[in-house]
Amino acid sequence: MLEWAGTRRGRVLLYDPGLALAFVLVAGLLVVFVVLPTLRVISYPALADYLAVPAQPRWIQAIRNSLAMMVLSTTTATAVGFLFAFATTRGLPGARLFATIAMLPLFAPPFMVAFSYILMFGRNGLITRELLGLNVNIFGWPGLWLVQTVAFFPYAALIIGGVLEAINPSMEYAARDLGAREWDVYRTLVIPLARPGITAAALLVAISVLADFGNAVLIAGNFPLLATEAWFLIEGWADLKGASIAVSLLLIPTVGLFLLERKWVRQRVYTVVTGRGTRVSRASVPAFLKWPVVLACSLVSLLVLTVYVGVFVGSLVTTWGYNWRLTLDHWLLAKDWLGPLLNSLKVGVASAVLTTVIAVTAAFLTACYRLYGSRFLDFTAVVPAALPGVFVGVGFLLTFSRPPLELVGTAWALILALTFWHMPMGYQAALAGLAQIERAIQEAAANLGASGLRTFVDIYLPLLRHAVIASFTTSFMRAVTNLSIAVFLVTPGNMVGTFAILMAINNGNWGTAAALTVALLVVSLVILTIGQTLLGRGLRPLPSG
Amino acid sequence: MRRQLLTLAILGALVLALVSGLQTGAQPRKIVIYSAIEEKVTTEIVKAFRARTGIESEVLSLAAAGTLATRIRAEKAKPRADVFMGGSADIHAPLAKEGLLLKYVPRTLAEAKIDKQFYDPDHYWHGWYLGALGILVNRERFEREIAPKGVSMPKTWDDLLNPVYKGHFAMPSPVTTGGGYIFVATQVFRLGEDRAFAWLKQLAANASQFTPTAPATVTLIARGEAIVAMMWAHEGFVARLMGFPVEVILPPDTGFEIGSASIIKGGPNPEGAKAFVDFLLTPLPQGINAAYGMRYPVRPDAASPVGAPPFASIKFVKYDRNWAIENRDRLIRRWQAEIGR
Repeated sequence: MLEWAGTRRGRVLLYDPGLALAFVLVAGLLVVFVVLPTLRVISYPALADYLAVPAQPRWIQAIRNSLAMMVLSTTTATAVGFLFAFATTRGLPGARLFATIAMLPLFAPPFMVAFSYILMFGRNGLITRELLGLNVNIFGWPGLWLVQTVAFFPYAALIIGGVLEAINPSMEYAARDLGAREWDVYRTLVIPLARPGITAAALLVAISVLADFGNAVLIAGNFPLLATEAWFLIEGWADLKGASIAVSLLLIPTVGLFLLERKWVRQRVYTVVTGRGTRVSRASVPAFLKWPVVLACSLVSLLVLTVYVGVFVGSLVTTWGYNWRLTLDHWLLAKDWLGPLLNSLKVGVASAVLTTVIAVTAAFLTACYRLYGSRFLDFTAVVPAALPGVFVGVGFLLTFSRPPLELVGTAWALILALTFWHMPMGYQAALAGLAQIERAIQEAAANLGASGLRTFVDIYLPLLRHAVIASFTTSFMRAVTNLSIAVFLVTPGNMVGTFAILMAINNGNWGTAAALTVALLVVSLVILTIGQTLLGRGLRPLPSG
Repeated sequence: MRRQLLTLAILGALVLALVSGLQTGAQPRKIVIYSAIEEKVTTEIVKAFRARTGIESEVLSLAAAGTLATRIRAEKAKPRADVFMGGSADIHAPLAKEGLLLKYVPRTLAEAKIDKQFYDPDHYWHGWYLGALGILVNRERFEREIAPKGVSMPKTWDDLLNPVYKGHFAMPSPVTTGGGYIFVATQVFRLGEDRAFAWLKQLAANASQFTPTAPATVTLIARGEAIVAMMWAHEGFVARLMGFPVEVILPPDTGFEIGSASIIKGGPNPEGAKAFVDFLLTPLPQGINAAYGMRYPVRPDAASPVGAPPFASIKFVKYDRNWAIENRDRLIRRWQAEIGR
């Protein structure tokens, strides 16, 4: 794979103490904050409790439902993601707009998508009732299917977009020169070449769908799913044991999918990406493909925009569906929650910085050196992707609420839980970036006498600028919008914004919840822009040839 | 290299600065409260407590009693909170059984003249408010879709079986919520177990949803996603106060919850916690809860919620709380086997 031939396993650590220290530090952190909490949750119920699962009809149903939703939502989200990736990489009309809109759902706080769909498409929905005069029920699996498709297609679009971009246009010209009709070019060339990307995207979406909590909890109605069941057991009956079983069951398919992705797809994806670039511009897309794709993307875009418009309008009207008078009352109430909003930003920045630093270092160590334990490092850095947020929250609560490492009750518990939960995103981004860097650079640095760490800081970090910024961006936004972990680790003195939104919903103040959501989103985007600029400046490559 | 290292150093300093800005622990003189009732009511009560005693409080307010109980359980090795207030006795009782609560006879208990059934005889938890189950109706949709069929507002539990409500009834799931279970037990006490399950099966035929959380049912009714629902009456009254077209009916033979408070064993400030529980049994906080949360006080001399029928006028079923707690697992299993949702 990405191992560097020529270095003997482990040898390098002996004569490079800086590198050795970094390795031990990163591995140690991953053991303490990923492996320990995971084992703690799995081992919390007794074996007998696990064996009793088949006797519980609701659980069997939850397992079946979770798998069914996984198949449904993964299929549609991947298909929609493909259309968006196609539209944006082939320069179809509106490509810029589609690219921006495909990013929006990544940044939606929990509740928001589902909440807005109820406002728009429910029985008293603005669109269904006021505009179309319909009386529909959006709760249950069809509604969840729609919401999950919209929520997760951006992940697919990102991955497939990278692969489509990398397909060499000259191959398409070659096919045409050989007499292939337009349709055949796509059927026999473009789609087969994109297949690894599509598979990778589908697997990632499948894992996200399985672990999805925020949408399911509002929209699924009484449609038991493993991810929500865990929380209902905790919430309804304070049944930590049952919840541990539910999340542990969820681990089986997610870890399975994940291993599949590692073994089967990843290498192929990157071999395409690292291919030589070309300056030939792409042939334009034939009309019979162009307009249907543009139409489909426009419809989905409209749906995505509806969510944001819905929440914004919801923060300005007195009582949605009954009293459409405009008011600023909700915003005045939201003003009291300024403290939690600021805390969200602090927690977000702290965890995003930590995630990025640790993830990039870990990727550097596993990708550029053959070390003992590289495989282990690789696995622990990505395994959190397979853990539902509730699992991580409960794991931290159980592991770190007692000495020797007593973090629960301080802000660190939440920060570190988020840091390590988002590790896979930074790590994968850094790995992908590293795969594109020529090995010869590292050899040259070593020949000139640079230590491993110096090579890393001086050469790799500037070259990994995009990966660093991507990692910071996703981990910051996900930290700020997280609720599933915050519910367990937030303390009275360190309330965060999403928790305040939940409290507002519990109070019945939907307008205030909407105002808080808009405020959280706006402030986060401001901080994000500042952070991206600072990182971009600080990591500017040295001016050289 | 220098610039990159500088960037890293600045980032590190930034993280430390940010985090040290966050509060890292509770001060000794403060008490820490886990509150399972909405934030607005909690804030008002805590304000009154400070005015009365001078003790400051830190509050984690989450209208999700089970989640708070889970935290208390997970924090067993070193409890973070002093007081757990709100949430049904059904949630507090198991905590007491596991040895997580402190036994304490409130100084104000004698003067409060509280009915004996509203507190633990072993004094691990004490009820300080009561909530009754009721029928919630979305008036707007009822008048538009049901009234023209010549049906009047439901008055009894049996009225809910009318097929006119098919696909329009909602209630919290008994499998995942305390309120849903109390409702099932109420029907068992009203009709006898086998007849109750036959009755529930008929009711389930009308149901559009058994919501996994209790607030979700209120949302359905308030937003008109359902026409009738079984739910805590006080939640319906609050929704009505907020401007939603919600009617609340208290049918005969209904059930109720005992909203409780308890002291967490080994918490940082036990003396402050005792003072707080003493305070909760006085008329002032119970009146606050009645005014903002529409819940009934346990003290006969505290103010009742305005606009709700007096507690004494509600006809309750003969509810055996111990039997209901002991038979919970069995009844829930039976519900899943026979009603299946």
